Amino acid sequence: MSHRSTRVQTPTGGAVTPIRPPKVYSLPEPPSPAFITPYTDYKAGVPIVLDLGTWQTRVGYSLDDTPRLTFPTQLARYRDRKILRTFTLVGSDVNLDANTRQAAKSPFDGPLVANWEYLEAILDYAFVKLGVSSDSKVDNPIVMSEILGCPLSQHRSMQELLFETYSVPAATFGIDSLFSYHYNNGSTGLVISAAHETTHVLPVINGRGILSQAKRLNWGGHPAASLLLSLVQLKYPHFPGKLTPQHAEMLIKDHCYVAPMSYADEVDHFLDRDDNFDERDHIIQAPFTEIVQPTKTEEELARIAERRKESGRKLQEQAAKMRLEKLIKKEQELEYYRAIEAKSAEVSQREFTRILEAEGFDDDSGLIRMIRNLEKSIRRSRKQDIGEEESDSEPQTFPLLDIPDDQLDESQIKQKRHQRLLKSNYEARMRAKAEKKKEEERRKAEERQDEEWRANDLEGWIKSRREQREQILQKIKEKKRLKEELNNRKSLASQMRMKSIANLASDTPTSSGRKRRRGGANDDDDDTFGANDDDWAVYRDIANTSDTEEDEEMAATVRKLEEQLLTFDPDFSLDNTLDAQNDWTNSLIHAFLRGTRPFDPSSRAEAHQVHLNIERVRVPEVIFQPSIAGLDQAGVVELASDVVLRRLPTKDASVACNDIFLTGGYSLLNGFDNRLLHELRAVLPVEMDLTIRRAQDGILDAWKGMRKWVSSKQNISKMLTRKEYEEYGPEYIKEHDMGNMALV
Amino acid sequence: MAPSTVSSASATPPPSAPPPFTLFDADLTTAPKPFRNPHAKPPSRRVKNAKQIISDEAKRLTSIDRPGAVDQPTYINVEAPPSVLPRKWWCDVTGLRAPYRMPGSGMRYHNKEVYEVIKQLPPGVDQQYLQLRSANVVLK
Repeated sequence: MSHRSTRVQTPTGGAVTPIRPPKVYSLPEPPSPAFITPYTDYKAGVPIVLDLGTWQTRVGYSLDDTPRLTFPTQLARYRDRKILRTFTLVGSDVNLDANTRQAAKSPFDGPLVANWEYLEAILDYAFVKLGVSSDSKVDNPIVMSEILGCPLSQHRSMQELLFETYSVPAATFGIDSLFSYHYNNGSTGLVISAAHETTHVLPVINGRGILSQAKRLNWGGHPAASLLLSLVQLKYPHFPGKLTPQHAEMLIKDHCYVAPMSYADEVDHFLDRDDNFDERDHIIQAPFTEIVQPTKTEEELARIAERRKESGRKLQEQAAKMRLEKLIKKEQELEYYRAIEAKSAEVSQREFTRILEAEGFDDDSGLIRMIRNLEKSIRRSRKQDIGEEESDSEPQTFPLLDIPDDQLDESQIKQKRHQRLLKSNYEARMRAKAEKKKEEERRKAEERQDEEWRANDLEGWIKSRREQREQILQKIKEKKRLKEELNNRKSLASQMRMKSIANLASDTPTSSGRKRRRGGANDDDDDTFGANDDDWAVYRDIANTSDTEEDEEMAATVRKLEEQLLTFDPDFSLDNTLDAQNDWTNSLIHAFLRGTRPFDPSSRAEAHQVHLNIERVRVPEVIFQPSIAGLDQAGVVELASDVVLRRLPTKDASVACNDIFLTGGYSLLNGFDNRLLHELRAVLPVEMDLTIRRAQDGILDAWKGMRKWVSSKQNISKMLTRKEYEEYGPEYIKEHDMGNMALV
Repeated sequence: MAPSTVSSASATPPPSAPPPFTLFDADLTTAPKPFRNPHAKPPSRRVKNAKQIISDEAKRLTSIDRPGAVDQPTYINVEAPPSVLPRKWWCDVTGLRAPYRMPGSGMRYHNKEVYEVIKQLPPGVDQQYLQLRSANVVLK
């Protein structure tokens, strides 16, 4: 279900475009379960080899070359409420449907068995599938794996289970990594077993594990998968697809590798935009459904555009008409108030006050303010109309206006009224035109002046422009800082904001109170709030919303200044511009999240992509530096060198170094052996020979080793028999070369 | 016009698919298990998490008198000791070298660009990053 991206885009910045589309890996899906028919050839008496791992369980007879059954150690209990039946599914059967897959659980908690009921079900499953048909007992000796230093309670429960529930004739337990080493013909060496839950460093001398010198690191494939999953989830918090721990496991297997020399060297240039970036940055495509937009024909598009244009034009016309009407009304009002103002000279003071009161003014300052406001708004609306002026060059005439009403008939009076409207309309337009002309001239003069300045004093001009740009940038920065500070409740900005809110909400705002206290003489309520445009910012500040309009305006001004600087300032290059500095092509975070190509947020495919880059080395590095994952333990190299240099006798140590043996599923990580060799070489003495080898099959060799061990005649006597179990009890440990020590 | 959704999965299964089997086929509860001993009585407590198991084991080990206990490997003493090498710090977000530390949360970061990112993390996310290396604040 993978969709390969084939679009080629050009980035908006000036970077070199990788033309080749990137390689996209699809997210691996867990294999669908296939029904395993139980074997019918039950072999009574033949030892059954059971490698019970935290990841996989492998079961088979000692006669087989490879295990007959291999299944993930997991179980799902699912109750179907409709038919009132509980299903128990084991192994890969849990993937049968979504409900059971979600209910899948492991009997293990870390490397230890936490749920014995589940474990019993898993053993049941193994015996059912093997076709065990002996009555009331499993008539086979059992060889089973066990963790190093297994707690006695675990050992006891396992023995009880085997001898009581399954009534096996004999059983033995051993450490899986020792069995693996045994299978690979090792005798003296250092076994490093990186498994699903734990990593062990275990010296072996003459075929016997020196358990007292062994060390366990609580890291393996399972915690690594959890780490990778968390990292990806934090990297893409809004990832629309679903990533499961199983996905993470497979991603580690397919994409992660161990840094060959050191982690620092590997990651230092990992996100550099060079030719090999695509090889380092693996794009994982999660399945998605494409939303297909119905495409329109060209004709339809043209029709829609035409319709849109038409309605836009209509709206514009309407708006212009409305504006004009408003303007005329305002002009009439202005005229009226001016007439009143003119009356002040003609009539007495008392009479004038009466007129003012009738008009709703307290005193003449109110009237003056009203006139001033009207003038201002008229000027503003005239300015707005600039640009949509009709080109009526010839002056219009309105003949009827000069004739008194009594000389006209009814229709002419009507017409006259119409002409009066037209006339004021026309006059308003003319005034607006004049205003516009003046504005244009002023602008031109300014430009001329600017040019002159530039011609005479280029340095000074550039300096001033740079200063202007710097100022705006400072302002932008300041705004950003303020916004960030508002996120913090205790910051000064937040406190100021709270103060403003409290002040505005209070009945006696402090600003006027302060004034009264200070001056005393000025007792009219008319403070000067609003005279300065910045005063209004208080509302914006308390609303705590971003003012995008203002931001855009500032960005536009910066762009304009930069344009001028680019043309006239030789020291100002494209790299210095704000846009270039904010460009994603230079961004480390963009390379980390989206690679070297532009990200198209509308693309469904790209939204479902995960870029694995540093994670590919970061996750495997934990085994060398457990502190990365918060583990307070020494890394595998430190443990190994400690065992060789301090814990083993020198004679044995140099022999053991000659055979450093890697086993376990997690040790299959790409480059694990080379890195180990490189790091150990750096800490071990020069005269020590170092050889590192991997198990033939890091996953299967433990099972094969158990099979090899039990196939040898003399080892049969080392198994705990039923008679011994009944005599010594379930806590008894019968020691052998591959097993744990009995502590009493 | 509403966008129509087209599933990328094919509608018909490929012809080579194995014959489907159901939950009933896979159910272990009903499968015959003649090998089980009908007289065995199940032990009482069957679920214990790792922490409990380890603490029980530690209790058991201190209660018994063992001569030469240092040499004997137990689940507890085979655990790797803390590292004695100086710790290296890596960026919590990117995994690159981290020369800087965020005051307040203690997050490590690579450069000022990452700093801009972690400054604007939604509340709680910084703790999620710190949790990856068990450095988060745990309220009790």
